[in-house]
Amino acid sequence: MTMYNPTIDQRVDEALANDFLRLATRRATDRLRNNKYKATAELGDWEKWRQAGETIRTHVVANLDFYLQQLIGQIEKQGGHVHLAKTPADAIAIVRKIVADNNSKNVIKSKSMISEEIHLNHALEEDGSTVIETDLGEYIIQIAGEPPSHIIVPAMHKTRQQVADLFEPIAGHVLSSDTPTLTRFVRLQMRERFLQGDIGITGCNFAVANTGSIVMVTNEGNGRMVSTLPRVQITLMGMERIVPSFRELDVMLNLLARSATGQRLSSYTSILTPPKRASEADGPEEFHLVILDHNRSEILGDQTFRPALNCIRCGACFNVCPVYRQIGGHAYGSVYAGPIGSVITPLLEKDWKTWGHLPYFSSLCGACSEACPVRIPLHDLLVKLRARKTLSGHTPQIEQQIFKTYRYFFTHEKILRRALRLGSRLQWPLVRNGRISGGPPPLSNWTKSRTLPKVATKSFMQMWSELNP
Amino acid sequence: MTNTNEFINQLASKLGRATPTETPNYVASNVPQYRLSNPKERASIFLDNWQALGGKGAIVESLEDTVQCLRGWFGDLLAAWPNKPQAIIAWDLLPTVAEYAFKALEWPLVRYTQAAQTAVDRYSLAALAELGVTGADRGIALSGTLVINSHPQRGRAISLLPPRHLTFIEASKLRDNLFEVLEELASLGIPPSAIEMISGPSRTSDIEMDLSIGVHGPIEVYVVVIDD
Ligand code: SF4
Repeated sequence: MTMYNPTIDQRVDEALANDFLRLATRRATDRLRNNKYKATAELGDWEKWRQAGETIRTHVVANLDFYLQQLIGQIEKQGGHVHLAKTPADAIAIVRKIVADNNSKNVIKSKSMISEEIHLNHALEEDGSTVIETDLGEYIIQIAGEPPSHIIVPAMHKTRQQVADLFEPIAGHVLSSDTPTLTRFVRLQMRERFLQGDIGITGCNFAVANTGSIVMVTNEGNGRMVSTLPRVQITLMGMERIVPSFRELDVMLNLLARSATGQRLSSYTSILTPPKRASEADGPEEFHLVILDHNRSEILGDQTFRPALNCIRCGACFNVCPVYRQIGGHAYGSVYAGPIGSVITPLLEKDWKTWGHLPYFSSLCGACSEACPVRIPLHDLLVKLRARKTLSGHTPQIEQQIFKTYRYFFTHEKILRRALRLGSRLQWPLVRNGRISGGPPPLSNWTKSRTLPKVATKSFMQMWSELNP
Repeated sequence: MTNTNEFINQLASKLGRATPTETPNYVASNVPQYRLSNPKERASIFLDNWQALGGKGAIVESLEDTVQCLRGWFGDLLAAWPNKPQAIIAWDLLPTVAEYAFKALEWPLVRYTQAAQTAVDRYSLAALAELGVTGADRGIALSGTLVINSHPQRGRAISLLPPRHLTFIEASKLRDNLFEVLEELASLGIPPSAIEMISGPSRTSDIEMDLSIGVHGPIEVYVVVIDD
């Protein structure tokens, strides 16, 4: 997949200049958020459900070694294969080998954020397989060659006309851009693919440790197609995505469906314990579970950021984030956008240079933490990430210089007094209507979208000394 | 690739202790659960919620009711279906009322698992059928959900590939909430290879958040609740 090359500022400016994107993002997030409010209000005491979710997730993460071991044991007992991948490259190599061993040409996929995280499609296509995303939103962005812009509604940024334009070369004729026409086209187009698919690749919302089951939710039914029809099923899973037993699924599935889309349950919730039994007609004969670490174990070992592993990828924090709602997902530049993306991307990728901007994509208003169904203190983690970045010396030179200067003045009272007097006299070319606007960089980074109060003619320090002679 | 022990040990060291040998305990937080007072209420609320999702449904008390209901839903359609003998595909054995009703109506049923030798041929049959007919193991009133376990005499594609899916469920199999269903499933021991929970028709809002029905799975879904 192609990562975006423009600079962060360019991406943000582009997003802010894209009226459709901003309208669509606001419309979609409003809808999702309001549906969530309705679905959570009817449950009675939503806070109790969140509490229960946090308890379960915290317990699982604190005992992840035990539950992973149990899960692996169960799956192997049932005749499935488990593959452990330390890095994205390992995971890709594993999937490539399974596809090659099965001589598979037609790979059909349902939604998997892990496959986005490791950039899987590209690798398989290089090997000569056809890989088709079957979730409608994922299919649209696959044809467009773009990453998802929202974790639940990946093609949120596309207009219906853009979708029709993307489909037309495949259809070979003009398509009208109404939703039923576009949906019907995909249904027909995808049918053939489903029936021909020899390997199905799925994501995994939860894995049940004591039964070796994987749980997958979709609304379209493509997840069922991909896990029912092909002879071989490969499931990709982030290593933290576990619940101890069926019992915990009650809380987790309620939290997920209600927080993600405001549904009581998604249209299709599949609890799968593959491979199929010998006497059954349908289902995969061969099952592979690929479990990805990709620095999740580093997060596990870091008490400060461990709660980030509690995430169930519901997208609720995206929908309430004032930054995400203005710029959409692509401006972040990362596979995971929104508040949780800003937390986990620098930790998963371990790269401050590329991803150090993300913790600043937040107003720290705390709306994300309040929305999170498993009570991850997202805004708090964002502040701590900023501190981590600063302490590791990755802030820009200019910022370091500014803070050094600031420290110098504020530890030298006399010089500060003199500077303030001087400032109030020298600022006049920048002052319009009593506020400072314009000016050279770095000042202009601030003044391009807001103004500063001018330096007072008489400083507070001056007034204070006059009052207390 | 990576060896299991190595992988697990590394996590244990990150957690700063040895891997527990017994299932670790925790104190679960209680959540308020949705409860209904009697079976009649449960059946009618299940049906309301199923219909709110876009499904069609009826509660039947007798064979006559069932026949009438099926005729009402599919009688006219059936006349127009081109490939009539192959149009309705079903489990090997449906709930008794359903078996009698189809017999009384003289509508032929293709029994999915026996209809073809290979998986590919079975899928083609199901994809060309107009209606898939199944039973259900459980239902959830609160979310209007059907819960269907896989089984050698069933076939998972019947509820998935045809454009219409019809399910028969006894009212006694309905539960108030997901928790009760999961408790019962947990007591099964090794779970069946697939437990499918179905709440309404296939839906998507991926194009401009505009709701659209039937992108991949069934477009029309019907349920007959048998008052037992
Ligand atoms: S951080 Fe919380 S709100 Fe955001 S996606 Fe994860 S679980 Fe949902």
